Amino acid sequence: MSLHPEVIRLLIFLVGIIAFAALNAAYLVWLERKEAGHIQRRIGPKEVGPFGLLQPLADGIKLMTKQLIVPAGVDPILFKIAPILVMVPAIMSFVTIPYGENLVARNIDIGLLMIFAFASVNVLGLLLGAWGSRNKYAVISAARVVSQNVAYEIPMLITVVTLVMITGTMNLHEIVMQQQGGFWNWNILNLAASPLMPVAFLIFFVCMLAETNRAPFDMAEAESELIAGAFTEYPGMGFGVFFMGEYANIVIGASVATILFLGGWQCPFGLFPGVHWFLLKMYFLIFTVIWIRWTYPRTTFYSLLNLSWKILIPISFFNLILTSAMIKVF
Amino acid sequence: MEQQATVDLLYVAAFFLGGLGFAIGPFVIAKLLAARSTRNTQQKTEQLIECGMVPIGDAWIRFGIVYYLYALMFVAFAVDILFLFPVALVYKSQTLVGALYAFVEILIFVGILSLIIIYAWKKGVFKWERKIYNPR
Repeated sequence: MSLHPEVIRLLIFLVGIIAFAALNAAYLVWLERKEAGHIQRRIGPKEVGPFGLLQPLADGIKLMTKQLIVPAGVDPILFKIAPILVMVPAIMSFVTIPYGENLVARNIDIGLLMIFAFASVNVLGLLLGAWGSRNKYAVISAARVVSQNVAYEIPMLITVVTLVMITGTMNLHEIVMQQQGGFWNWNILNLAASPLMPVAFLIFFVCMLAETNRAPFDMAEAESELIAGAFTEYPGMGFGVFFMGEYANIVIGASVATILFLGGWQCPFGLFPGVHWFLLKMYFLIFTVIWIRWTYPRTTFYSLLNLSWKILIPISFFNLILTSAMIKVF
Repeated sequence: MEQQATVDLLYVAAFFLGGLGFAIGPFVIAKLLAARSTRNTQQKTEQLIECGMVPIGDAWIRFGIVYYLYALMFVAFAVDILFLFPVALVYKSQTLVGALYAFVEILIFVGILSLIIIYAWKKGVFKWERKIYNPR
């Protein structure tokens, strides 16, 4: 019996993308620790392997050999299902992210909508895990994570609606193809469509930080106030899977920002487009995300919510109106 | 077209299963490798964490979430933004309605939507003062 070529392609992409996600989760932790070290005038991990490059392996072995405890009194089903609920949608979002001209698992027509649909499940996982933990810190974190993600989903979606208005498609491949040429054709500099496009990118980026619970918006996992927030009760691998899911979400967020605003795999000068440009832009965004984490202190929860409702949402609404006016009226 | 949608679904389903495997796999490995029991002299391995003390009271109690009003606003927004997606998708096409007509419709829709924020702002939802609930 021979397999259908489509099935073989599917399996290759599935294995490749899971390997990509796992490798990223492992080495983004290394990057985070290294970068944090250098920002704080330390060296960071250096003992395990050259430049500490084998550190993720050591971390992995440590996590795997830790006892799996389900504390007494937790809701066992919610407690166990939560890390899986964070991880699965993250992997599913990778289906339609095009890393190169032909390097995409499946070019789905409503890919953009699909990614945001899956991304919103992430909150559910954190909420269930935190509530199921029956820990006071985790329960406080549950309330916070929901209101934070809910608040930042709106400006993000409005920005995406604005972008869909300009591109007229939700197919990620086509969105990248429309940004062909040099960097002046990228959506971030598409000033003809809307003079506020760089601001829209900034809004998207800030919302991405908040949606992935990264500092300065890491209210869900505020170490100094809530121990580890939603993850407080999770031992060993439960914590590890949560973290892999979180890093996978950061990779997805940076990828989507690259596709929507920075021209995906297109070269800034119109030369040699390819997957290397995509990875370069994506890792630059991820580097910035980590950079921000170690530069700014955590905000208070009040200013976090008000930043979204008082500043980001009105501006993104204004951008929406402006864009629709630029398309139809002028 | 029909077949393409089926293949789309096949891909998503395969990635669902793959993700499930990737999420559950580490737990299986940990189950095989990890210690099954520890010395546990004080019988406190399964105690919930409260910075070392024996936890005082239950965590599943009612506590005041002052920001629940934001959730109410979100409900209004989320649905409406979902309605905006199909509109945005066809907004550029010339054939459906007149240019100005389409713009004015968007303007009305978004205008009414922003009234939510203006209303909440006026009502003081965004002001964070200590709210004291007096039962009397």
